[in-house]
Amino acid sequence: MIRLQDVSYVRLGTRDLEGATHFATDYLGLEVAQRLKNAIYFKSDERGHTLCYFEGSPDDQVAAFEVANGEDLSAAAAELERLGHEVHAGTAEEAQLRQVRDFIAFKDPTGNKIELVWRPEHSGRRYHGERDAGITGFSHIGLCTTDPVRDEAFWTQVCNARVSDRIGDAALLRIDEVHHTIALFPTNRAGIQHINHQVESGDDVMRSFNFLTERQVPMVFGPGRHPTSSARFLYFEGPDGMVFEYSSGVRSIADELLYRERQFPFDPKGFCEWGAKPEIKEFRN
Amino acid sequence: MIAIEQLRYVVLGTANLAAAAQFAQGTLGLEPIDRTPERATFRSDDRDYTLAFVAGEPATQAIGFEVRETKALDIAFDALRARGLRAARGTADECALRKVRDMLWFHDHSGNRIELVVRPMNSGWRYFPSRDAGIKGLDGVMLRSTAIKKDENLWTEVLGAQVSDWAGDAPYLKIDSAHHRLALFPSKKAGILAVEYAVESVNLMMRNYYVLQNTQVSIMHGPGRRPASEQLFLTFAGPDGVLYSFVAEGQTADGDVVRRPRQFPAGPQGLCSWGSDNKIDEFNRAGTR
Repeated sequence: MIRLQDVSYVRLGTRDLEGATHFATDYLGLEVAQRLKNAIYFKSDERGHTLCYFEGSPDDQVAAFEVANGEDLSAAAAELERLGHEVHAGTAEEAQLRQVRDFIAFKDPTGNKIELVWRPEHSGRRYHGERDAGITGFSHIGLCTTDPVRDEAFWTQVCNARVSDRIGDAALLRIDEVHHTIALFPTNRAGIQHINHQVESGDDVMRSFNFLTERQVPMVFGPGRHPTSSARFLYFEGPDGMVFEYSSGVRSIADELLYRERQFPFDPKGFCEWGAKPEIKEFRN
Repeated sequence: MIAIEQLRYVVLGTANLAAAAQFAQGTLGLEPIDRTPERATFRSDDRDYTLAFVAGEPATQAIGFEVRETKALDIAFDALRARGLRAARGTADECALRKVRDMLWFHDHSGNRIELVVRPMNSGWRYFPSRDAGIKGLDGVMLRSTAIKKDENLWTEVLGAQVSDWAGDAPYLKIDSAHHRLALFPSKKAGILAVEYAVESVNLMMRNYYVLQNTQVSIMHGPGRRPASEQLFLTFAGPDGVLYSFVAEGQTADGDVVRRPRQFPAGPQGLCSWGSDNKIDEFNRAGTR
């Protein structure tokens, strides 16, 4: 079994690196960690970086997860190859670009580009955002799935994820005590469906709602509160149509033995207990 | 100086009693109590009623505060007359209509009618709301003032209120453990600016936000958080030009500790720490006299 420790970073291709950087810093509130000629790295917490925009196709999206040991990488590679996934062992140069010691890359059954990384860099300096968004860190991703049953099996049986709740067939998966680190949303494409950053409080969610609304950032869902994770949330659109989320107050599942996943309806009531209606394609019937 | 026990009720004149009653029941979700062709009252908590609509001139408004004894009415009467304010004892009919044992009414320096009442009726039956808005009770009133300093002094020197904080020149007035039950906002005219109902939690407040949006109620300010009281608020338009708010959370006094009043900025900056949209004139001009 592939033991995922944490979600580590996302890498997003863009044709407009400058525009994406403007959004990531002035609107989203991340801090520039490093600028290369054709890639910019952003930090959101104590880690070296958690988001990287690079010059390339906006369809080129990668989500990375950390594994604990170097041997885990070779074991994972062997297991994935046995299951018929093509595995690419990262070169030293590629690893350096990702600020990790070693990594492997593969595609999940839907075709999402996934990287498993070992020893991603932490930062010696604490995160100081470009604006006071109250971000406490990069926390989870929504992944597209073209077959939710197949992909749930991949993440829970090949990898160590557990189902925390389901909204319709969309599984919210945990790999530690946080309610979900991966959420699988049924759709007809591969790619990252949304990127979540946690903020300190519900007040921060609401402040950002007003801040971003004033700046004409398209709001696509919320402010609201998820009945599943109990988090207060706000979803808005960033460069290349990527959906970003702020949330606060995500439920923690401490008792693995007693916890039982729940089924919620795939309609606005399953997504928000306050009555907000999503404008996000993957959250609608 | 007298002591006010609690905020009791708001009386509002309305040009359309049926529409106002529909608003109280459908939008606020209050429980209808008494209904005559001239008057409709609504319950929000264990008080018999906290909102009364009266058919007629919308300028006919009153706020009721409870005092413990009839003696307090005598003391208040003398002090109010000494300030040159109009004041009179309520008649038996007026008291019966309000379901109180005794009453003194007066007009503040702006012309707002305030009623001090003794032994107002409580309900023996619990509050049963018309819709699940999560209302816990009448929480406060925002009042316009055309003579802000004199009205503030009236409340602090005669009626025993304390200033919790100011936003610009607008004082938040404290009479019990809540941060405030009354706030005075400088304005060019008198009248009740907003009637505020407490709801259980942020979840109920935000649920109401979407209910109001879906029913085309005009949101005037919020959802937001008040820097002074730390209350969550959502202010929206009701009938006859009166605003209503749902509020939640907020500071309460810690025992008998008297906190120093603080000065917050005038205008939207001092009234919302979330930066919410404000459409209320008085809030844009809270710093002007």
